[in-house]
Amino acid sequence: MIETLLAGLDELLLVAFGIGALAGALLMIVLREPMRVATALISTMVFLGGIYGLLGVHFIAAFQVLIYVGAVMVFMVYVIMMLDPRDPAIQSRFSRLLVPAVIGFVILVFVLVGAAWQGAPEAPAAPRETFGLQQFAAAFVREYWLHFMVATVLMEAAIVAAVAVVKLHRRGRG
Amino acid sequence: MGALTWIVVLPLLGFLINGLAGNALGKRFVSVVGCGLPIASFLIAAACVASLLAGGSKPLIETAFTWAVVGGKSFEIAFYLDRLSAVMVLVVTGVGSLIHIYSTGYMHDDESYARFFAYLNLFLFFMLLLVLGRSMLVLFVGWEGVGLASYLLIGFWFEDPEKAAAGKKAFITNRIGDAGFLLGMFLVFFAVGTLDMDRVNAAFAAGVPAGVSASVIGVLLFVGATGKSAQIPLHVWLPDAMAGPTPVSALIHAATMVTAGVYLVARMSGIYVHAETASQVVATVGVLTAFFAATVALVQTDIKRVLAYSTVSQLGFMFLAAGVGAYGVAIFHVVTHAFFKACLFLGAGSVIHAMSGEQDIRRMGGLARKIPVTFATFAVSTAAIAGLPPLSGFFSKDEILWFAYGSVTGGSPWLLLLASATALLTAFYMFRLLWLTFFGRPRMDEEVAHHIHESPWSMTGVLVVLALLAAFGGFFSIPQFLEPMLPLPAIRPQAQSFHGPLVWIATGLGVGGLLLAAYFYGNDAVRAAALRPGFEPVHRLLSGKYYIDELYDAVLGRPLAWISEKVFLRIGDRLLIDGSLNGLAALAERSAGRLSKMQTGNLHLYLFLVLAGLVGALIWSWRNG
Amino acid sequence: MDRVQLLIGLSIALFSIGLLGVIVRRNLLVMLMCMELMLNGVNLSLVTFAHQMGEAVGAVLVFLIFVVATAEIAVAIPIVLLLVERKHSLDIGAYNDLKG
Repeated sequence: MIETLLAGLDELLLVAFGIGALAGALLMIVLREPMRVATALISTMVFLGGIYGLLGVHFIAAFQVLIYVGAVMVFMVYVIMMLDPRDPAIQSRFSRLLVPAVIGFVILVFVLVGAAWQGAPEAPAAPRETFGLQQFAAAFVREYWLHFMVATVLMEAAIVAAVAVVKLHRRGRG
Repeated sequence: MGALTWIVVLPLLGFLINGLAGNALGKRFVSVVGCGLPIASFLIAAACVASLLAGGSKPLIETAFTWAVVGGKSFEIAFYLDRLSAVMVLVVTGVGSLIHIYSTGYMHDDESYARFFAYLNLFLFFMLLLVLGRSMLVLFVGWEGVGLASYLLIGFWFEDPEKAAAGKKAFITNRIGDAGFLLGMFLVFFAVGTLDMDRVNAAFAAGVPAGVSASVIGVLLFVGATGKSAQIPLHVWLPDAMAGPTPVSALIHAATMVTAGVYLVARMSGIYVHAETASQVVATVGVLTAFFAATVALVQTDIKRVLAYSTVSQLGFMFLAAGVGAYGVAIFHVVTHAFFKACLFLGAGSVIHAMSGEQDIRRMGGLARKIPVTFATFAVSTAAIAGLPPLSGFFSKDEILWFAYGSVTGGSPWLLLLASATALLTAFYMFRLLWLTFFGRPRMDEEVAHHIHESPWSMTGVLVVLALLAAFGGFFSIPQFLEPMLPLPAIRPQAQSFHGPLVWIATGLGVGGLLLAAYFYGNDAVRAAALRPGFEPVHRLLSGKYYIDELYDAVLGRPLAWISEKVFLRIGDRLLIDGSLNGLAALAERSAGRLSKMQTGNLHLYLFLVLAGLVGALIWSWRNG
Repeated sequence: MDRVQLLIGLSIALFSIGLLGVIVRRNLLVMLMCMELMLNGVNLSLVTFAHQMGEAVGAVLVFLIFVVATAEIAVAIPIVLLLVERKHSLDIGAYNDLKG
């Protein structure tokens, strides 16, 4: 019984994490205050990290939590804290295009699901393999080293931009 | 470049040189170039005519270049010298050169000296194109070109609005005639497939081509001739054209341009011999014009106007001759008319020059002793135009009267009657002019009388040459010279015995006119003045030129102006054209305004459009595989 | 419904919800966060395909998307700060200077 339970645990966890992620996403667009929205997003990301783990790409899961939650969302939270959310300018949550946007959203989902369903691939023939970090790193450096370099340049550009913005900010203040 | 082409091109060079550089290079240079080149043309023309005659009168044909090749037909600029064009080219260059020389004296004090000679040379170039052209197309280019030159020269002193208006009137009236000419040309091309006049005549000699009526072509071409040669109803421009300088009146409106219509009819004789109706029209219009113009000339008081109406009248004579089939005689009269009318006009110019610009003959008189050379030449030419033997006018006019009566193709007694009446009137009014201008007590101001002087030799020399030609020119028997290519018509049997008496009658008409004029206008025109009150209404009608100008203005001018103003300007131009253009612009503005509403600056809208586009693209790709 | 279909469906849902959020919400920061959600949805689909096909490409691409997302946030936030400094409002309605 434990075996069947354990065998089904994977699927169950997958579904549970999926529902959690979805719930977080939906909350994001509904909640009023930015801080709560950030919290919902963090929860979605963590659930996604869980899903990655269940799929076997452990290092990607780790990176998800480390980078996305740990760096990006923390940064967002800092900014939210810095900028007063009780800004009187925030009168309403939703723009005037709510209804058309929702309609478009529904159509989009239908179309995408319809397209993806038709091309739904067969049951995976390959067994569930875990991607080792070693394999990943080797592949990265051997085959995708160009992308690696470009990504590095991009990071440099981002750093320069951030420093420039800070200088601008200081000059504006100043 | 062949000799014929040189004849035509030399005056063009004169135009360019004098026109572009004349003002800078001084009057002497302008005179040398302006007179020298036409004289050179005359010499080359003489040489060409000599070689033509030596070669058994086979026509000289020179092709300058091919103008266009359209659908298998090629149109060339080609020159053609046969007996007819030989006569014309010699008259044009010869008399033209003389008038150029005269102009160096007459226009000496004018500030636009170079421009005048440039225009004169331009005129000569176009006139030579006209007479030497082989194809009707080249002739037409020359035809239009002389119209242009005429406009430029009539309105030479363009700062005076009246003179400029006279130039415009000439050009516009000409254009109306040209419409007929063009239609005639189209028909000829349609019938024969070529516009080369020698080929057209040859085609018609073999019989009228199918599908066209020779009379229709003849009438259409004559409409063009009416405009150019100032016949009724398009004669209205010639008297007004006297606004131009006198050498212009002499050259263009007496000797050469106005005879282009006669030349055209004579040249296309191949068509006219088959066109009985058209020939009748030509003869009738000619004789009526001659008569009516002569009646108007009776009461004119401007010296140049008398001569202008006289020209219209004499042109009528020429068309009368052409209309009854005596083309050679018409050309004969062209030549003699060129001599004596040019002499008369230039003499009038000399008189005006002596009178410090006065042109009204009522204020002249007694000039015979003061300007003797002018008087002598004027008198000789007056006798010539009156038809006194043995001067040139006698011969040509006699021939015209003879054929008007006796020609098998259209001669009739009433033509003779009208023509004779006209001849009598001609003699009368010309001698009237002579008497009023040169005899009797001087009627001018003291101031003017003081300044009377004979003209310089550049002017009087030319007068003498022309007077000699007017006197002895009748002995060039041109009809016989042209006989091989323009055969004279046969004479009606009933008329044959009349030739002798007619000569005496013609002489009698001339002498009669002289005596009548002497009677009425001698003794300071006492008897003429006494006669006048009895004929006041007639006098008014004639002075008003039969009120034709006023009629044209009322019937054509004012309605056209009204239509232009109300229909074309208000509705056509402002409402439709401006309206549609402005409407298009307004439409662009409004649609741009509406489209710009898409740029709301609202980021959400932009993103929504992205979503919509995405959805659309996905659906499309889903549908289409 | 096997797990791949499920996960693809989830990824589509996340992406669409993120897009909806960007179009619908008025707060600048919330819009930014919804954009992050879109990226996450895409990451999920990539990982799913990598898992299904057994290739390493998917994982590499996910990693690069991490990098790009980080760089993007690192620059976007300061831009937002500068904008807010100017207009003193986080509401997107205040930023319609490109109107017309």
